[in-house]
Amino acid sequence: MKSNTIPISFTINGEKKELEIHAGISALELIRDVLELKGTKEGCGIGECGACTVVIDGEAVLACMTLAVECEGAEVLTVEGLEDPATGALDPLQEAFIEHHGTQCGFCTPGVLMSAKALLARNPHPSEAEIRQEIQGNLCRCTGYAPIVEAIRAASGGAASD
Amino acid sequence: MTDSAVVGRSTPFRDARAKVTGRARYVDDLKADLSVRILGSPHPHARVRSIDTRRAESLDGVRAVLTHERMPDRQIFFAVHRQSRVMDSHLRHVGDYVAAVAAVDEATAEAALDLIRVEYEPLPAVFDPEEALRPDAPRVYPEGNDYAVAELPPGEGTPDGILQEWGDPALGFEQADVVVEESYDIGSQVHAALEPHVCMARWEEDELTVWVATQTPTEFRVLLADYFAVPQSRIVVHSEHIGGGFGGKTTSRHQFIPCLLARMAPGRKVKLRLTREESQCVGRRPRGKLVARIGARRDGALTAIQLKAVFDIGAYGDFHAGSNAFHSEGGLLSYKVPNARFEAADVHTNHFRAACMRSVHVPYVAFAVESTIDLLAERLGLDPVAIRMKNMPGSGDEMPPGGYRENTGRYPDGRLDIYPGRELLGQVIERIDWRSKWKGWGQPSAVDGPRRRGIGLAYCMEYGGFWMDAGTNARVDINSDGSAVVYAAAQEIGQGTNTALCMLVAESLGIPLSDVSIFAGDSRSGAFDYVAAQASHQLTTVGHVLLRAVEDAKRQIREQAAPRWEAHPDQVEVRGKKVWLRDHPETAFPIHLLFGPIDAPLAEQFIPGITEATEGILWRLRPHVVGTAAGAKESINHLIDGEFKVNQPVVLAAEVEVDIETGIVKPLKLVTGTFPGRMINPAGVRGQALGGATQALGMALWEEVRYDEEAACYLSGGFTNYRIPRVFDLPEIDTVFLEQVDAGRQPHEGLPYGARGAGEMTAWGAVVIASAIHNALGVRLRSSPMTPEVVLNALKERAA
Repeated sequence: MKSNTIPISFTINGEKKELEIHAGISALELIRDVLELKGTKEGCGIGECGACTVVIDGEAVLACMTLAVECEGAEVLTVEGLEDPATGALDPLQEAFIEHHGTQCGFCTPGVLMSAKALLARNPHPSEAEIRQEIQGNLCRCTGYAPIVEAIRAASGGAASD
Repeated sequence: MTDSAVVGRSTPFRDARAKVTGRARYVDDLKADLSVRILGSPHPHARVRSIDTRRAESLDGVRAVLTHERMPDRQIFFAVHRQSRVMDSHLRHVGDYVAAVAAVDEATAEAALDLIRVEYEPLPAVFDPEEALRPDAPRVYPEGNDYAVAELPPGEGTPDGILQEWGDPALGFEQADVVVEESYDIGSQVHAALEPHVCMARWEEDELTVWVATQTPTEFRVLLADYFAVPQSRIVVHSEHIGGGFGGKTTSRHQFIPCLLARMAPGRKVKLRLTREESQCVGRRPRGKLVARIGARRDGALTAIQLKAVFDIGAYGDFHAGSNAFHSEGGLLSYKVPNARFEAADVHTNHFRAACMRSVHVPYVAFAVESTIDLLAERLGLDPVAIRMKNMPGSGDEMPPGGYRENTGRYPDGRLDIYPGRELLGQVIERIDWRSKWKGWGQPSAVDGPRRRGIGLAYCMEYGGFWMDAGTNARVDINSDGSAVVYAAAQEIGQGTNTALCMLVAESLGIPLSDVSIFAGDSRSGAFDYVAAQASHQLTTVGHVLLRAVEDAKRQIREQAAPRWEAHPDQVEVRGKKVWLRDHPETAFPIHLLFGPIDAPLAEQFIPGITEATEGILWRLRPHVVGTAAGAKESINHLIDGEFKVNQPVVLAAEVEVDIETGIVKPLKLVTGTFPGRMINPAGVRGQALGGATQALGMALWEEVRYDEEAACYLSGGFTNYRIPRVFDLPEIDTVFLEQVDAGRQPHEGLPYGARGAGEMTAWGAVVIASAIHNALGVRLRSSPMTPEVVLNALKERAA
């Protein structure tokens, strides 16, 4: 079924990768099974929950709905890449999620963080409505979302207009 | 309430860093040798006439195939005395387990399923709990569909259901000036934790190791040992990081499948991970059909409440206490009514199993009683606040009044301890701005074209989380440097239990939180907690036992230190890594001196001359103090001092906007009012109130378990067709927390620092949306979820 392999070259969390992969696998399988980066979660596998969200070329995408080969030449960022590689310091988003109880069971957390990361990269001071807009595809069953929104707001230092 | 260093201060969860960095390893993040797929029944009710697995077994990569013919002749010993085989020739719901394959990967296992030939004999099926009770209904079990209460030993027949009664209900209805009777149909709700169900097992030399997404690891180990007839000492259950539970990750039959397959492939790690669609069909809150009848005098004083309930618990309803019906007094004792009767039956149908879900039976009781109270108030011309203020019990009240007359739940008679319901109600209505928004029955608070706004209230007596410490033990080690390690079987599933337990210990010992660690999520800790992450019990009950373990450790330290001052151990203080004689602070010395000078090389600790006595040397040889405690065998109920019941009032208020053209209900604001007694970790308590309220909104408006009888298929297998709340769906949720403790009580006597359960307290609240819609439209909806279709039909019905 997955006998056809294909070469792929991309960057993940700042690290250049050149691999021979099965042509039919998803980016999620590439990340979790081939690269064994287990921080990215699979909550449904069919694009409904957002737990597998990663950032590809600056855009938050569902890894389960993306073919691995679409990562060719791309810059991929997963939750493992949020920490500063030089200092090990956490990203402000990660700090804020800890401080503001933005994570409970933690299963949706990597996906939410990656959606928020993509948002803050293009809009460093989003309004609350913009934050809610960005994470609407990320389902969370624990928090009621308010602490997540509060954490993202805290990490962004508040909206420019606030 | 802030004269404490640790307790009462919002504290980040211990595992938050692991979770935000992606380092937390959930079960599906662990490598397996073999993957499992399950063949599910295509019929809701059938017998397996024959099953041929030969082709599947000869497929390259297949290592083991399991069918009902290869089951051990044993049942899973839930507290249920129905047949609970892992696989059976009698299939009872769509998706019931026909066969399972372990193979080198999931694709191979899936391919093997296609090669299994099964001949089914379809049987007539039943899906409605009331229909299932009829004598001529298809039988999910040969002996009938009503369900045995846990306490009945096997073979003693089926029970008459659950009955709680006090006073004289018939007399109470005679005394009433107004009686309202109404029926309700409360739909199922799926737990829908983001982490799908997953279990991995390995047998190695008669030792079974399991990595499992569970909220009841102790129970699972006990049941596995019983099922496989091996000592519990040969079973290890790992459950470190769990991606949400809400009742859905209590023990379930599917978890035994990888354990059985692993026994056929010794030494291999065999993993079963359910797909989202399969995970959505493992358990659900049961559907409940209820009839409520409430009587009152003209002044609003209630004279009698009667509730009859039938719960559809599906084919294998396996709630541990034996019943999804009134397994606690939650909801039953909400009102100080002199006469009441609560009657319930759990009924098997050909739906997939019902399981306990956050606040278990309370949503049904609350929906039926609160709705009927509102209808009664409307008839009497009383507003929703007044009728509740009038009939709410208070601190010290005997509940039920006069004690139980019928009591199949075996709840104790007693008095409420602290019960500030009226104060809570007062604060909640303040926050929703009740006085300016409530314009009377049939009077929406605002009208804008087709849009009607309304507000509503709901109140309920929830349980306090303090009970069943019989199934709990805990241990705390105080190291020679004064730091502490907690051993508890409480299960962290995201609610912050491990953090809160460490906070209790840090506070009690007067040491920094960073000096306390916890060994949990691993049955090798030796800790036991049968109830685990259920019933809002861990902080209060495990916390209570844990603080007693801390006291046990302190006692040992006091006894060791007392002879220095020729004092009684009770005169010795232990706090902040120091020991001293009470009222003599100058005698204080660091705790590590009790163990020997830890800064010195180990050998120096044995130098003669620095010890006072042989006993001292022996003490210094001890690496640390081990404090232990276990729950009292008889302590299964929620009494303190054999007299006071630990419960808590919860009040919710909501404002909604209903579009009478589309039927869409938009929640605008929700206020939750709970009584956590004392918040150990306030941000954590808030997280529980918000999360529970969000699930209540989902239950009220969007979450619907649908089954297509013609296609024999559940239509709620994903997040598109089973809509859990999204960030856009939610209104502002304001949280009110009332704190009050019994100042005369030590932190380890009864509730730990006065803390009451937090996990489930707002999850029952779907009815508050019905209350607000009632105000907006003048129509009382009697079912959930309250979809646009339900709203429009109710409006049509009224017009007709």
